[in-house]
Amino acid sequence: MHPTAFVRIVWTATFANSLLLLFVLFMRRRAGSFPAFTTYVAFSVLENIAGFLALYHLAFATYRSIFYSLEILDEGIQVLVFYELAVHVFCPTGAWARDVRRAFLRLVAASAGVAFLLSWIAQPPAPLRVQTFILRADFFSSLLMCELFVGTVVLTATVGLPWKTHVARIAQGLGAYSLLSLAIGIGVAPVGISAHNAIFAGLIRARKLVWLACQVYWIVTLWQEAPAPRELPEVMRAQIFSLQNRVRDDLIRIRGPRNR
Amino acid sequence: MRNLYFVVLATLLLVALSGTLVHYYLRARRSAGDTWEDLLRRLTWIDREAIATVALDAVGPLDERGNPRQQNESFALDDDTIWKLLGGLEGLQVVERNCRVLVDLATYLQRYYPEALVVAEQLRLNAREIEWHVGRLKGAAQTGNLRSSFTDYAQRAVVTYYRMTRLLLDLCDQAGAPGLVQLQQAI
Repeated sequence: MHPTAFVRIVWTATFANSLLLLFVLFMRRRAGSFPAFTTYVAFSVLENIAGFLALYHLAFATYRSIFYSLEILDEGIQVLVFYELAVHVFCPTGAWARDVRRAFLRLVAASAGVAFLLSWIAQPPAPLRVQTFILRADFFSSLLMCELFVGTVVLTATVGLPWKTHVARIAQGLGAYSLLSLAIGIGVAPVGISAHNAIFAGLIRARKLVWLACQVYWIVTLWQEAPAPRELPEVMRAQIFSLQNRVRDDLIRIRGPRNR
Repeated sequence: MRNLYFVVLATLLLVALSGTLVHYYLRARRSAGDTWEDLLRRLTWIDREAIATVALDAVGPLDERGNPRQQNESFALDDDTIWKLLGGLEGLQVVERNCRVLVDLATYLQRYYPEALVVAEQLRLNAREIEWHVGRLKGAAQTGNLRSSFTDYAQRAVVTYYRMTRLLLDLCDQAGAPGLVQLQQAI
């Protein structure tokens, strides 16, 4: 199989961007804070190399098996990246915020349920059963990530937890990619895969371009430093501690109102 | 046919997700640009005297350090009086809205002063808890069960709200934070 010029260009650009992003993550010391995201980017580099070698040196059927296996792994790592971002947002002091844990679990369960149901309804036509499975799995992953991303935004706004700069940037890129992937997935499901399917090919190309744009966004925003934190005046610090202690005492009394 | 259902359902979901995202993203952007003074301005005016009367009935007058003084005549106000002083359900709604601002003030502290992270997180959780108590009262009022819930929650929730807002006032006063006049007027 000979890839088209478009595929070769996108392949090269994705590979170069992944390497550059990896460089930024290590150079700016973000890799320690985002190990799952760094793994995801490193995996993207390996995925490119493995795909390239398999395409040029192995039989097409073998290439396809490798490609599909890597796709499934890719989607698994995306879920880990989401979990990492959730930990950054919902564990501001190192432990899960009390008022969030249950809501977050409900969000994950509901998102997975809805994504599974819709993926089950979809019946993308494809010559091989494995291809139908991959298209469904791909859609499931896009929808799940999308729901989790939107749910997290809603949850943080409701409970009043702020996003740190770089967490927000990674989430924005991943969220935008998931949303556009979902839109593309809706287009892909009815047309499916066939030998000369221009619509399918066009949608997949669009998705690759969106991914390239996300990579560029991450390279730029993760290179930039977060705004410097402000210094809390001593008086204000003491007052906040005092306020917190007194409110805590009051709440202990509220929790046992029958003692009055 | 199944693919048609899929496209319709998935498109509706996509629109709903995009709409929700845009709404909350814009809201988050607005609040990220809020200054301390902007947040204080969002507090709704509430009858401070009435709130203080209800609160002090439960904990007694506060000393100069903000702690309650011992007294024998606590809980002298009956439920009807407390209900009138708080302004009924509308008054509770104002308290609830102001609790939301208290949550946002704690969020502001977390966002800009990482060194106060632990205490700001505790403040946020506490403000959320007051919000929860007031929310339960509001729910009870809507189902006509306010009287039975009131004894349990209302007065003490108001005490905590009063204490929190009063100390916030002291905080701004001592730190020389701008917006003190508005804050005094609001809470």
